[in-house]
Amino acid sequence: MDIWKPQRIDALKIYQARIGPLVLWLRQTDGEMHVAQTYELEGQFMDMHGLKEYVQEVPLHTPWSRWVVEKEMHQVRLTPCLPNRPVVVRTESPVKISVGKEAVFYVSFPIWLKIEAGDGQLIELCDVPSAVRSNTWFGDTMEGELCYSLMTRARRQIEDADHPVYKALCPVRIRNASEDRLDVERFCLHVEHLSLYQGTHLLWTNEVMITFQGEDQISKVDYARQKPKLGSDLKLITPPRTPFKETLLKRSLASIIRFSDS
Amino acid sequence: MMILAQIEWSKLFELKVAIRVAMLIGLGFPGVVFASSLAARSAKRKLSAQGAMLLRKGIFYVGTTIIILQVLHQLNFQLGALLGAAGIVGIALGFASQTSVSNIISGLFLISEHPFEVGDQIRVGDTTGIVLSIDLLSVKLRTFDNQLVRMPNENLIKTQVNNLTHFPIRRLDINVSVAYKEDVNLVKGILLDIAKDHPHILDEPEPLVLFQDFGDSALQFLFAVWSVKEDFLILKKTVRELIKARFDAAGIEIPFPHRSLYAGTDTAPFPIRIVSETPGAAASVSPTSLT
Repeated sequence: MDIWKPQRIDALKIYQARIGPLVLWLRQTDGEMHVAQTYELEGQFMDMHGLKEYVQEVPLHTPWSRWVVEKEMHQVRLTPCLPNRPVVVRTESPVKISVGKEAVFYVSFPIWLKIEAGDGQLIELCDVPSAVRSNTWFGDTMEGELCYSLMTRARRQIEDADHPVYKALCPVRIRNASEDRLDVERFCLHVEHLSLYQGTHLLWTNEVMITFQGEDQISKVDYARQKPKLGSDLKLITPPRTPFKETLLKRSLASIIRFSDS
Repeated sequence: MMILAQIEWSKLFELKVAIRVAMLIGLGFPGVVFASSLAARSAKRKLSAQGAMLLRKGIFYVGTTIIILQVLHQLNFQLGALLGAAGIVGIALGFASQTSVSNIISGLFLISEHPFEVGDQIRVGDTTGIVLSIDLLSVKLRTFDNQLVRMPNENLIKTQVNNLTHFPIRRLDINVSVAYKEDVNLVKGILLDIAKDHPHILDEPEPLVLFQDFGDSALQFLFAVWSVKEDFLILKKTVRELIKARFDAAGIEIPFPHRSLYAGTDTAPFPIRIVSETPGAAASVSPTSLT
């Protein structure tokens, strides 16, 4: 996809890229790279395009951030990457997994963009989310972790999964290794351990396998080392932010917790 | 005085002893200071600020004690006599400095009980601040208007201490009042929309809007939202402004306390007088009524 290839930019000109709800602005002046991002409302954004010269007037109050770079930088590359925090996703409706059985869910989440600039060798400036983030807490009020909350739901059928170009699709296999029935309503996905693959049109991550070992036990989480089987013509474009250990034991499943009366 | 009397000061004039004492003092003390700060710095990643401070102080006190004992040993001082004297001195000092001893013991309890640690935000009575250090005699706080407050450990053991940042998330409770004429569901919807749109409010635990009571002048709601403790202040600063703006935009009235007087349907209207404001004119009176 051309969006992810390095693109040439000229000094003093303003460039714009649209990736999902994200509108990204770039300009280079006096040895500085200026980056700004604004977001369109969900469902109201236009088609995606890579960096293009923007000849109209930039909206007032555009929140520019400035990066000191070399005098002349002619290349900018936007690379898709994964969010910097875990994401919490709910299933469309509660799913019950019997003892010893497993179920596959498809989770799609907005990617982030790593912005690199340079002349020959590119240096990383920052990474920005492609959609407005919403914070949530996974755990109880005394301990847990800060995550992003996903608006879209985990689907059981891949055809039902929301998979626009600015989102990555992650297959999650949940196995019930406990001695009780498992009710899956929401789970936490540590996307920082995932790799991102580019298919012909879409972005994929490697598969996650969560083994539920009981209500009082922490779940065993494995990240597949190979590409997902479903995508076609996949190639690795971004390695994990945090490389994962052989097996991670994490609290990844939670039934609905009532916080309102605590 | 007993210690000083037992030291063979003449030993100091022997070259070998003098060199050893000088080396112990000259190299030992800077060495202890260096070792304690190095240990605290290298343990900073693994330990909390409180743990690092305790490690630094522990190494410093143990090291200093060893150096002093070594210096006394070089001067032919009998440590047995010192320990014997320490018991008597301890009793005398205990009576003389009950407050200090009480503070020291309270300090040890504070460190072992761990109700707060360095960097936590605590409230004691009317004072709220960030814990700078937990020392042997006192806890030092920095208040938000940048004052240093010293609190004796004894007081902290006796009084209620609220640790505002012990848990990772906090709930902000806001009491919201609207006029009786307003639609309850509309008010609830607007408040939940604010929670949904606000970047520092967490989706989970879910925001709560509770219709609490029929007040004297208003319908009273509790709006409770959660944020991570780092975002709590900015949430506190912004969310009330947002409620006012959204209520204004939706035409929802936030009433001030008022009273309506009426005399019932069967009574005669209240008589009132309207006084003309025309300058220079005599006050004219026109009888009318108020129901």
